[in-house]
Amino acid sequence: MRRHRGSRDRQLSFVIGVALLSAPAWAQPSQPGPASSNPTRGEQQKLVHPRIVLKDETGENVLRSGKPISTRQSCGGDCHDYDYIANSFHFQQGKNEMDRALLTSHGAPAFNTSPGMFGKFSIIPNRQLTAVGIEEPSDADMSQPEWLTKCGGCHTGGGISEYDLHGKRFLTADAKPDGPYDPSYTIRDREKGQVVPWDWQKSGIAEADCFLCHVPKASRGDRKKEMAAGNFRWADNATLVETGIVVRQESEGFTYNREAFNPDGSVKQDAIDLSDATLENCSQCHGFTARNATTIQPIQHADIMRGTEKCGWVYNGAKISDTVSPNIVGKEKMNFPWDVHAAAGMVCIDCHFSPNNPGRMIQEDTKKNLRYKPAGIDLAEYLRHPDHNFARGNIPPETVNLTRINTMRACGDCHDAEKVHAFLPYKATHLRTLACQVCHLPAVHFWAYRSDDWGFLMDTGGSRITYRGIDGSIVDPESEISGYRPAYIPTADKHQNLQIRPTNLITGVYWFDKTKGRPVFTWQMQQAFFTALPKEGEWPYRPEILKTFADKDGIIDLPQAVYDTPEKIALVKQLLQTYAGVSDPELRIEVVAWATTHGIVGKQQALRDCAACHSKKSILARPVVLDSFLPSGVPVVYRGKNLKVVDFRTKEPTFDNRVLLQSFYVSGYSRVPWIEGLGWLCVAGAFVFSLIHGSLRLLRRKS
Amino acid sequence: MTSTPVLYSLHERIWHWLQAAGIGFLILTGFAIHYPDRFGVLGSMANAVRWHTWIGVALVVNAFLGIFYHATAEKYHHFLPRMDDFTDAAIRQAHFYFYGIFQGEKHPLETDPRRKLNSLQKITYLLLLNVLLPFQIVTGVLLWGADLWPILIARLGGLWVLAPLHTLGSYLFLAFLVGHLYLATTGPTLGSLLRAMITGYHTQEEP
Repeated sequence: MRRHRGSRDRQLSFVIGVALLSAPAWAQPSQPGPASSNPTRGEQQKLVHPRIVLKDETGENVLRSGKPISTRQSCGGDCHDYDYIANSFHFQQGKNEMDRALLTSHGAPAFNTSPGMFGKFSIIPNRQLTAVGIEEPSDADMSQPEWLTKCGGCHTGGGISEYDLHGKRFLTADAKPDGPYDPSYTIRDREKGQVVPWDWQKSGIAEADCFLCHVPKASRGDRKKEMAAGNFRWADNATLVETGIVVRQESEGFTYNREAFNPDGSVKQDAIDLSDATLENCSQCHGFTARNATTIQPIQHADIMRGTEKCGWVYNGAKISDTVSPNIVGKEKMNFPWDVHAAAGMVCIDCHFSPNNPGRMIQEDTKKNLRYKPAGIDLAEYLRHPDHNFARGNIPPETVNLTRINTMRACGDCHDAEKVHAFLPYKATHLRTLACQVCHLPAVHFWAYRSDDWGFLMDTGGSRITYRGIDGSIVDPESEISGYRPAYIPTADKHQNLQIRPTNLITGVYWFDKTKGRPVFTWQMQQAFFTALPKEGEWPYRPEILKTFADKDGIIDLPQAVYDTPEKIALVKQLLQTYAGVSDPELRIEVVAWATTHGIVGKQQALRDCAACHSKKSILARPVVLDSFLPSGVPVVYRGKNLKVVDFRTKEPTFDNRVLLQSFYVSGYSRVPWIEGLGWLCVAGAFVFSLIHGSLRLLRRKS
Repeated sequence: MTSTPVLYSLHERIWHWLQAAGIGFLILTGFAIHYPDRFGVLGSMANAVRWHTWIGVALVVNAFLGIFYHATAEKYHHFLPRMDDFTDAAIRQAHFYFYGIFQGEKHPLETDPRRKLNSLQKITYLLLLNVLLPFQIVTGVLLWGADLWPILIARLGGLWVLAPLHTLGSYLFLAFLVGHLYLATTGPTLGSLLRAMITGYHTQEEP
């Protein structure tokens, strides 16, 4: 019997294996979009995942128990190794990379506890996971439960919402808080201003949400609602709302729709439609992505879309000129796709694949000549242990999934650049020192973050965010989107050679606690700026703030919320010391250059004008406006160092990357002043000598 | 004024004008590379780089042919200064250029097929052909090979050293060219020296 079952398993594995190996094909819909140039991909038949039974945490069919779905039981068990999968980055977000040596080796600041979102500080949310071992409540910022309520909509459960920071599974006998401020078991109560215990019994835990990526109709919005409300145990159910398998109950929780189930208790395949991660699945969290769509939703689920917000990525096969909404300025002339790879029908997993997928794996080992291993791991083994640390490139300063940097297919893994750049002199030098995107991403036609100013809090209690490339609100489809030209920043490539890449510059302004060696927490900022919690959404400023910053009507609007005198900086510093207990605060500017990588154009739109870079007005050194509200005279941090990269002499402060470009000699742009001076002096000397000498000869001859 | 027999042989004239054209085009294409936004004479910087490379190769070949010709025709001595050329003769020549020429004095050197260059010309060409030209060839070849020999280039200081040095050499060539063109007008008539380099015949001053 066992032998028979093993044989069936192998057959099953084979079927699923074939399906996964042909994943790029069956991840496509049956109707190729108008811009698709490869119809065969869309025409291929999608292979079917075997029937599955949705089980609760005890292993019982949820139809009978009515309890929340347990993916550990439903997807794990005999088929996939749940713990192996959940130990990867998408489920851990750095929790399993909390290694000081690893962080230091990648230049991460000392206050980051992990390279991932679960532990690192980022200027965009100005929040950070509280470190283990704190002894004072003032050291607590965002505890693990709060992190899950804020960030758990995207970050897919498993490690971060199943295990505490000591590695114990929540709701087991071993899982106990280590002290009164243990970040895994507490949360900051804003009303009381205290750190209070979190009730894990009430919230439950959120297991890895396999559905968010493997169910095409997954609903991140519904998942987010449950996570934000602290109903972690129902989060995975919520993801299935749009499939019709579950029905949200008004009181709490979900019931199951029997229509979506087969008589044997398994869920109908056409309801759950399990498949490899589709482009739409990835786009729910990573950015505006649409399969050949002419209407791009400004904001999906009314919250963050990281890839788009940071750099303006729109991975879409449709032509920009066909865009109906939003309002792209000058689209009439943009008769080309948002991204050529999207237009060719490529999806995210074509490049960001599972590294041990035997049909896709590449081997990056310069000491060996093998780029592809035909005799890779067995299909059945892969299906049981599919590596979910998906292949990734290198987008400095992003440190997430640090151990998998440069594992994805890069441009050169598919394109032979040497063969298609015959026109280009010094090909090797150009290809070594310039990322392909420099020419193939000459402009971004969407908006992106420009600045996030946490140095002065608005009456919303939060930061002032500005965007580049848009005139108006980002949620208004009528706002004119003109896009932006990237800034060019040298960054180490996979071989540690400095390579110039196009980036979007995001400037953060924040207060730094020099005594603690970390950014000042947002709640501390709020204590310094406001007298109480918000009333009807508006935070009441302290009188000192109003007196110093407000206009004659007592209003602090954007023009007033600036540090334009040292006295204003000194006042907030004093308020932070007095009301927030920050003994030595320092106002800082941090400029972060986010590499733009998607939105690639083909050769017709690529930059071919040599003088664009090789001239006095080289785009490589073009000043990029940062933020008109930047305070002057405060430290400017760039990649962890104090660098003079902001030029305040311009009308609006601009990024001055000349210091970063110093190691590159760009003919036509780079100059050695004394050489130029001496050279022209010699030429001018010869001219002047000839002129005077000739004139004197002429005069002498006449006389 | 009388004309003498051939002062510059056909070989010499062809060599000279090829050299002149080569240097002129190199300066022109060099400007198109150094100031691509202001001297887009060849369509694009990429074209300028290609032309600059090929003209440079042609100039090097011409230079070696020149060495071969002057060595085999035993005419290299025209370019070899004697000790006197660095002292008395040089002073006499300088005195002529800075004073005598305005007084209508006779040129201190009577040019003939055996003595074509005055002492200042000899010194100038000694530096030009033996220092500046090789310097430009070496730095130019290294710049051309930046793609092929990146490690060597890095050891030599990289492009930040080689390119500016090559640029400086170019400026010096341009300065020489300006002076050379002007001094070509200091013969018995404004165009006599130029005519000599075209026809081969030199017009001598009346005694």
